[in-house]
Amino acid sequence: MSGAASISLVRFIIIYLLLLIVIAIMKKSKINQTKLLLVASIRMTLQLIIAGFILTYIFEHPHPVFTVLYLASMITFAIHRVLSRNKELNTSFKIVIGFSLAFSGLGIVAYFVMAVVNQSIFYPQYTIPLSGMIIGNAMTGVNLGVKTFLESISAEKPRIEALINFGAKPKDILLPFVNQSLETALLPTLNNMVGMGIVSLPGMMTGQILSGTIPTTAILYQISIMIAICTVVCLSVFGSLYLGYRTLYNERNQFLF
Amino acid sequence: MHILSIKSLNFKNKIFYKDVNIEKGQIVFLRGASGSGKSTLLRLINATLPLEEGTILYNNKDIREIDTITLRREIILAGQSVYLFPGTIKDNFKRYHEYRESQVPSDEVIRSLLDTSCIDFDIDTVCNNFSGGERQRVFISIALSFKPRVLLLDEPTSALDNATADRLMSNLVTHCKQNYMTMIIVSHDQTITEKYAEVTIDIGEGVK
Repeated sequence: MSGAASISLVRFIIIYLLLLIVIAIMKKSKINQTKLLLVASIRMTLQLIIAGFILTYIFEHPHPVFTVLYLASMITFAIHRVLSRNKELNTSFKIVIGFSLAFSGLGIVAYFVMAVVNQSIFYPQYTIPLSGMIIGNAMTGVNLGVKTFLESISAEKPRIEALINFGAKPKDILLPFVNQSLETALLPTLNNMVGMGIVSLPGMMTGQILSGTIPTTAILYQISIMIAICTVVCLSVFGSLYLGYRTLYNERNQFLF
Repeated sequence: MHILSIKSLNFKNKIFYKDVNIEKGQIVFLRGASGSGKSTLLRLINATLPLEEGTILYNNKDIREIDTITLRREIILAGQSVYLFPGTIKDNFKRYHEYRESQVPSDEVIRSLLDTSCIDFDIDTVCNNFSGGERQRVFISIALSFKPRVLLLDEPTSALDNATADRLMSNLVTHCKQNYMTMIIVSHDQTITEKYAEVTIDIGEGVK
């Protein structure tokens, strides 16, 4: 076993035929998203082709600058995604989220690559794919956590108003919402860990096995990445919300939302 | 001594208030059209809205110099949006007092406050299915249990029939007098206002 059997281009095209099934079902169920499906498929194809070329280039010329640039753009993109989906946030809250994502993401990537895999953080072949998984999951987690937090404080406005008018401290009023949202953001990762290996072979493990890594090595990576993901989600959501909720009131204990 | 004094107060240069002095133990009604700034005035008094121009004195002290949490534990506002936690009446007293870090009142005290608010239910009744008016009155009885110096009520009778509204107001006034409490009430109810107001302040008129 050495490397995945390479797919010939003609046979690769065959995979797109499967999309006809999706289109047929969408038509039958009157789901008007055929256009989105096409755009999504084309975008995915183009973006991955570009990523493939860039990664090939970087792996052949492994200069630290490339790794750093890749990491930086990944983090910028992740922050941008979270902030553009939660536009109503105040500026300080946005800054807090940016720093939480960047610090927890970079910290966990560094720990994983340097301490666990025992490679240089500048070595692109490990840092780039691993940070993609770690930062991507942090982004999803923070997005879910912040969204849940904002939705719940807006849904529970009467409770918040009653408590502030009765002389409760803003911190005591908002912390339960922070904790609840952190739990909501963590649950998908935890549930994922529970089903792992039984319901599905996870993506990274599948990839490694396909490319010829023995399964016992592949599971070590998979376990490590799951723990890293769990930690990064927990850290980044906690950081975002725990530091962020303080931006919602001033020193006179008046809410700013 | 005035318990509250309002001087050249305005809110964001949009709502202008007349200067007013309120004496300790007075029953004060605020009148005015919707949007005239009655609820805003209550929120300026309990410092949940920032006070930018003008002064509000509480016991002769500028409220900007008073710790807001201390202030809000003495000047209680039962606003228009009523909130009760899921659970029994007693659970609600407990939850709110925990949030305020204050001693939960005894069952006896809770019963007597429910009585004041015209609630006949037992303290172990679950609140979830209460009507709007019932929730409002349980909410007011919780506000009373904090033993406020000043009680601010925003439309306390809006969800009540005339008879209950009258009984509630009469009980509240008695409770106020017994406990040397000052009460400031926003109400659209003309009858109630005329019957119980010791002072009526018109908001939104006399704008300079």
